[in-house]
Amino acid sequence: MDAEAAVRLVDVRKRFRLAHHPVNTLKGALAGFLRRRYEDLWALKGVTLSVCRGETVAVVGRNGSGKSTLLGLLGRVYLPTSGVVEVRGRVAALLELGAGFHPDLTGEQNVLLNGVILGMRERDVRQSLDSIIEFAELERFRDAPLRSYSAGMVMRLGFSVAVHTRPDILLVDEVLAVGDEAFQQKCLRKIREFQNEGKTIIFVSHDPDSVRGVATRCVWLDDGLVKEDGGVDDVLGHYLQAMRG
Amino acid sequence: MIEDLKELWRYRDLVRSLVLRDLAVRYKNSVLGFFWSLANPLVQVATITIVFKYVLNIGIPNYSAYVLCAFLPWMFFQMTLSDAGESVLRHLDLLKKVYFPREALPISVALANLVHLLLALAVFFVYLLALGVAVEPGWMVLPLALGLQLALNLGLAFFVSALSVFYEDIRYIVGVGTSLFFYFCPVIYLSEQILVSGKIPAGLRERIWEVYHWNPMATFLEWYRQLLLPRFVGKGIDDVPLAAHHLLIAAAVSLGTLVAGYAFFNNRKWLFAERP
Repeated sequence: MDAEAAVRLVDVRKRFRLAHHPVNTLKGALAGFLRRRYEDLWALKGVTLSVCRGETVAVVGRNGSGKSTLLGLLGRVYLPTSGVVEVRGRVAALLELGAGFHPDLTGEQNVLLNGVILGMRERDVRQSLDSIIEFAELERFRDAPLRSYSAGMVMRLGFSVAVHTRPDILLVDEVLAVGDEAFQQKCLRKIREFQNEGKTIIFVSHDPDSVRGVATRCVWLDDGLVKEDGGVDDVLGHYLQAMRG
Repeated sequence: MIEDLKELWRYRDLVRSLVLRDLAVRYKNSVLGFFWSLANPLVQVATITIVFKYVLNIGIPNYSAYVLCAFLPWMFFQMTLSDAGESVLRHLDLLKKVYFPREALPISVALANLVHLLLALAVFFVYLLALGVAVEPGWMVLPLALGLQLALNLGLAFFVSALSVFYEDIRYIVGVGTSLFFYFCPVIYLSEQILVSGKIPAGLRERIWEVYHWNPMATFLEWYRQLLLPRFVGKGIDDVPLAAHHLLIAAAVSLGTLVAGYAFFNNRKWLFAERP
């Protein structure tokens, strides 16, 4: 792995097992043992990709092309079935904001818990507590249980915690597409800030405008393989053309 | 396994936060709040006292104290296993989104239940004071006993939590299994009763006594009684000091279970998120 690479994948394949009967019971396991009724689903079929520090890579592709699996592998949620995944630096995954929040805990307690789930030391979360809540614009709701938050507020809080974990590599899955205009602008500003600090960003998006606006490189995934990898205008142009045609 | 332990150590704040969350959430929406965690052992102490002091009096003074002294650690065992069945399953959504050492979940469940046991033991000590039963100096060895039982509980919790992800039946099997296992542990009886039972042929008693102590929980519960309470004087029953080799068996089985359980869990922990 050369010095500048933040992420390197070599011939990465990922298989999921799709079951056509209930397998999460002993009865199902027994039935499956007698008659194997799995379907192998290859989400990635040999992806080789290298991302340098400071790059912002947009991953495009139709549904089911393996984009989320790719982010899952980089976020270490899955292990590859074969191949090598190397990630250098601290990763923050904005895959689903607010995963791990508890409705009965207050906003502040949730921030503390979510911060340590994302791998921070507790004293570091405490130190950033004020700025996390301020960034989410939730000072008034700090001591209210999460149950009383709106969906947008939960999302703001989740985004705020994730960006405060001081990541080297940011994985973003479609979060830019949700939230109101003001929040989207805020996310974009934060992402620009990360870019200026030389951090690596890999994001999945279906929105051509945000790809053009943010990305420095574009990777087109098709059916578990890299179909095209290069400049934003070229790759995005070809991708959109293929989608229309 | 060393690498896994190092990573777990890096995430030690997570384990602590999960334990605190468990304790905070459990009684969050109730008026009495944290006092419920004291109320539960209080009710248990009261019920067992009434049943064993006034109804099922077998002629040993303060018998209820001997029952409780085993019952509270038994609850620690039972609750840890039943909570472990849900520990990973309940967080499946989180597992699909975020990386963290998965073992933090069953570990936090075992530790939260240890905290409940410590609270219950505090109530128990007050109760002994009220009964006028002197607490034996053996309580200083209590951390060792608790540590070994924690090893056993946690080892089993690793197996139960990992298996429950793939076989939901495990939780029911564990439920039925522990309620049967209850009778193989000296909770409502004294293990010494095996040695004086008229129903067991005299030649077999010693052998059964030995086999009985292959179960580490039997040894632990006996040990708690001997550490905390004075020798009991009853009709024809004498307490038998804990044999060193029984203690060694219990320690070896517990630590072995812990290592095997952790290895078993680690082999499967990155498949949890892919559960079909």
